[in-house]
Amino acid sequence: MNAAPLHPFAWIAWLAAVCAVLSATRNPLHLGLALLCVLLVTITRGLRPGVLRLAIGITLVAAFFNLILARVGATVLWRIPGSWPLLSGPLTLESLVYGALTGLALAGIFTAFGAAQGAVPTRALLDLLPPAFAPLAITLTIAVAFVPATLRQLRQVREAQLIRGHTIRGLRDWSALLIPLLIGGLDRALQMAEALAARGFPDQAASRRSPAILIAIGLALLAAGLLINAWGTSLLGWALTLLGLGIIGLAIWLAGRNTPRTRYRRLPWTHSDTLVAIAALVAGIAFVVPFALPDRAVLAFSPYPQLAFPLFSPIHGIATLGLSGPGVVLLLASGE
Amino acid sequence: MRSRRIVSITIYILASLIGLWAFLSPFLTANLAQSGELQAGGPVAPLLLTGLVGLCYLALLHEAHGPAAGATTIALLGILVSINAALRFAETVVPGPGGFSPMFLLIILTGYVFGARVGFLMGALSLLVSALITGGVGPWLPFQMWAAGWVGMSARLVRPIVRLVRAERRLGEVALLAMFAAIWGFLYGGLLNIWFWPYVIGDAATSWLPGIGLQESLTRYAAFYAFTSFGWDAFAAIGNAILMALFAAPVLQALRRFHTRLSFRYLSPPAPTATAPIESIPQ
Repeated sequence: MNAAPLHPFAWIAWLAAVCAVLSATRNPLHLGLALLCVLLVTITRGLRPGVLRLAIGITLVAAFFNLILARVGATVLWRIPGSWPLLSGPLTLESLVYGALTGLALAGIFTAFGAAQGAVPTRALLDLLPPAFAPLAITLTIAVAFVPATLRQLRQVREAQLIRGHTIRGLRDWSALLIPLLIGGLDRALQMAEALAARGFPDQAASRRSPAILIAIGLALLAAGLLINAWGTSLLGWALTLLGLGIIGLAIWLAGRNTPRTRYRRLPWTHSDTLVAIAALVAGIAFVVPFALPDRAVLAFSPYPQLAFPLFSPIHGIATLGLSGPGVVLLLASGE
Repeated sequence: MRSRRIVSITIYILASLIGLWAFLSPFLTANLAQSGELQAGGPVAPLLLTGLVGLCYLALLHEAHGPAAGATTIALLGILVSINAALRFAETVVPGPGGFSPMFLLIILTGYVFGARVGFLMGALSLLVSALITGGVGPWLPFQMWAAGWVGMSARLVRPIVRLVRAERRLGEVALLAMFAAIWGFLYGGLLNIWFWPYVIGDAATSWLPGIGLQESLTRYAAFYAFTSFGWDAFAAIGNAILMALFAAPVLQALRRFHTRLSFRYLSPPAPTATAPIESIPQ
């Protein structure tokens, strides 16, 4: 599909909203609506049959495990006889439904990540790394770029071994593939290290100024905040946690200031990105922030102890439609 | 230089402790919302935890890879990670039995030969890159990266034991590494289960409930793990041990050789002095 691409940050906002909505409710009606939105986005990106198979598989596995593990619920489907620990006892409709709902939420998250990952090129994802992580970004770029070459080398080694009459019969025979692959890769690493050094990349960069002290202080405050909150949530605990996170963020920002960064082509932020981000934000806030909207109790659907028809909150339903943002934008952009 | 090392070790310890806290929070906290009745917004807690773990992870990654990364580290990691990601890609196409994965062979041996820092990065980046190429990015990724990072980081701890029993470059070294890999086969699965375990509603003997205490939580988790994951992880553990027994010796030989070859350092030529101008240096 040749639709205009969305900015990676718009996709991230959408992903965060999908995760928030799908994690915050097990109400089948709201869950279903959110899943339809995710499906719309996936279809506009070009639905692969494997995605549906995986989603169905996740749902079935989750339903099965909850059916076996959870012995709560009034509607007994079958009773495993005997006195086997963990196994014997009633299998209930409620546990089956709850497992399926949990599986659907998980499948929705997985599908959403698949759609977003297919839409955002790996290069753009690596570009999102803060400037302080420039060496890490180089490592990741090398690793991602060399995966096809490594697979190609694996094929070449295999062909060479076949010509020599070596066939793989057991696990031990893999040594003839793995070791040449590793040695070939390490040889390439040596050449690359020399090339990097020859182009002025410092071999020992330990002398670079790094705000390590600030990071250590931030982590210490964060640890203290978490420790205090472990004994019971308190204002001091949250204050220390937030302060710690803030200091870590500041340290990373300071480290990034000294790293010059150039971009060949900057991805533009368009009105479509703004619309997608705002719609996602509204959906996320509606489901996660307490007291943001009335009828919040409807979201807390539970099939236990006896399965009943769920209620529907229209206002949350409208907010959920915000998750269809990328799908609508891509549909409009492609003129369908 | 020494104070910088102390700060670095402090960062490693604090970040690892926070990561461990995030993993073990069901055993350590009494505030998470969970019971037979689902509370609205309750399941968002794993997402918040994922965000927290992700941020701490960035701090640790910055310390491990930011200030000390030179050309050799970058090139070595880039290539080794691409080999490991290709192995995981192959595993996705032809899945192994249960939780078996060929990834941990290189993670453990890299940590063992090149040290804790490179081992940690090897584990973390292998998971990240393989997730990028196989479509496995999700909220579980920071937890996977933590656990795989610990696998690589802790491999360095086998070295003193190998020295203690004087098994360097002998069969005993491979046997110890195989044992270590088997233990991590179970530990990795056990750790990754914990972050979602409190949100699985199950039988009273296998479910987490707020306020049941550390001992009771551990007992229930052990029952949950035995029932749902032990068999799966047994394949991972046995697979790790077999791979280590078969391939550790030649892989170690190759890594050691390149460890020496990659330990080169470019030195600036000495500056010419007034008494010995560069033109007058005898050939």
